[in-house]
Amino acid sequence: MPSSIPASGTEAPAAEAPPQGPWTFARRNPTIVIGGLLMLVLVGIALAAPWIAGDPLKLAPVNRLRPPSERFWFGTDQFGRDVYARTVHGARVSLVVGFSVAIAASLIGLAIGLLCGFYRTVDAIAMRIMDGIMAIPSILLAIALITLTRPGLWVVIAAIVIPEIPRIVRLTRSVVLSLRAQPFIEAAIAGGTRTPRLLLRHILPNTLAPLIVQSTYIAASAILTEAGLSFLGVGVPPEIPSWGNIIAQGRSFFLIAPWSILIPGVFLAVMVLGVNMLGDGLRDRLDPRLARRM
Amino acid sequence: MAGDAPLLEVRDLACHFFTLDGVVRAVDGVSLSLARGETLGIVGESGCGKSVTALSILRLIQKGAGRIVGGSVRFEGRELTTLSDEEIKELRGHRISMIFQEPMTSLNPVLTVGVQIAENVVRHTGAGWREAMDRAVEMLRLVRVPDPERRVHDYPHQLSGGMRQRVMIAIALSCDPQLLIADEPTTALDVTIQAQILELMVELKEKTGTAIMMITHDLGVVAETCQRVMVMYAGRKVEEAPVGELFANPLHPYTRGLMRARPRLDEDAEGSGRRPRLQEIPGIVPALNRPIAGCAFAPRCALATDRCRAERPELEERPGGHLVACFEAGKGVP
Repeated sequence: MPSSIPASGTEAPAAEAPPQGPWTFARRNPTIVIGGLLMLVLVGIALAAPWIAGDPLKLAPVNRLRPPSERFWFGTDQFGRDVYARTVHGARVSLVVGFSVAIAASLIGLAIGLLCGFYRTVDAIAMRIMDGIMAIPSILLAIALITLTRPGLWVVIAAIVIPEIPRIVRLTRSVVLSLRAQPFIEAAIAGGTRTPRLLLRHILPNTLAPLIVQSTYIAASAILTEAGLSFLGVGVPPEIPSWGNIIAQGRSFFLIAPWSILIPGVFLAVMVLGVNMLGDGLRDRLDPRLARRM
Repeated sequence: MAGDAPLLEVRDLACHFFTLDGVVRAVDGVSLSLARGETLGIVGESGCGKSVTALSILRLIQKGAGRIVGGSVRFEGRELTTLSDEEIKELRGHRISMIFQEPMTSLNPVLTVGVQIAENVVRHTGAGWREAMDRAVEMLRLVRVPDPERRVHDYPHQLSGGMRQRVMIAIALSCDPQLLIADEPTTALDVTIQAQILELMVELKEKTGTAIMMITHDLGVVAETCQRVMVMYAGRKVEEAPVGELFANPLHPYTRGLMRARPRLDEDAEGSGRRPRLQEIPGIVPALNRPIAGCAFAPRCALATDRCRAERPELEERPGGHLVACFEAGKGVP
């Protein structure tokens, strides 16, 4: 057993993580904690929707356009549907869209980006396709894709994923290009590492930090895009309440019943704020270099 | 295999880089040989082709940037320049290993050092991960990393520069290579750590019988570790000799210049308490992207004659196993 005194005398002290209570963590990373808590509350509301709110589709013409009251917390819309129930259920659509788009776009973009960064021929072809996708405004591309198929939640998700992919590809590609010049990648090549392993074990883990950060921004933008599409009437089908279509349906009665568009609007803003704060906090924590660059 | 066949034989190796400014002849007809268990030093200024020579042997020159345009590299009787990509990858890190200059960045920050050593073992010996991790601990012990059972689970950022270079050596030696190419292994380390790493390399070489190709610009490193030295200038070999012979009797004006440019402690002849100023070699390494007429060193050489500027001197054999490429070799003040 070697003595505890290092042979060379240059040993770095054992890097034990200092004891860190949740309170210290919260004080050092307020954005992560606040953003995380906001998201936690919204996820909780979305999961518990059937138990904490009534039927979002129940029509009750007798109660149409009621202001917020003890019975209808957020009032009712022009068909007498409970805005509270609709808003709570709408959180589900936003979250499902946000998370699915972030995950799908990240995985697809990561795969393409890794190959682009590594193979010149793939790069030349794939990046021109990405340029093409980016040349079209994402909401127009999504509308075009949706009109080609039948409306539905998964179609909306796919339609938002495709315009988001180039952002992830570009990020991953740039990180891979800079990693390739790193001595440790050269060293791995000099050690005879095969290409698949080089990509998956040596390069991929080093791209994750900026990728996680970017995917939170994509989640936020996906939530907004979904609301926009639903507002325009090409998003999720009208029988699924989403914040976008609640606002769209309430807009003709804005002067009489402002609550039916204000409340889902506020929820939308809070959710996007939560996701963005979480992303900012993660960025500061995971990748201080990126924070300065962006 | 024949007993006295050299382990590595490089003949007329030429590696050119194709740039917008023309063809850069980074290595232009270098020959060298290395016996089993021998240590060869390659010295020269930055940009003289030392590293490119080493990278060419393992075919690590980036495709598209540069290419081996001529010559042969025979290692253990196999011609490396014509091997398939898969065969050369099999050789790298297994029969021929390489240590780089930058220990701070040559390890992957997201993998523990144990995994990085074990990975090489798994790749080249077909051992299982458990076995390979045991081997990693053994290798860390061999390179004298204290407390290897615990260190094997450390990430590179938890280790100092000297420790990381030890880990690099552990990775390089983990599959018992026949040849270790060390590209300025101690340049990035401070002096005391340099001495420790060199001592370790010499000791491990004696223990394992690995031949070492030591690339450096530090003549001190050469004196301490090498048996034979080769001096390169502008992509060519200008002098080669056993280490004692080279230091006692440097023949090429460039080698002499390198020696004069080293700080020394013993030149206090007049007892004035002042050491003479270091003498630098005037001028800079010539651009390699256009053909050089005559001796490449002539523009910087005090002894250069018209012949030097017109005709390129070839390597000539001198007594004592000494090779030198200079018309004026050995003339002037040593």
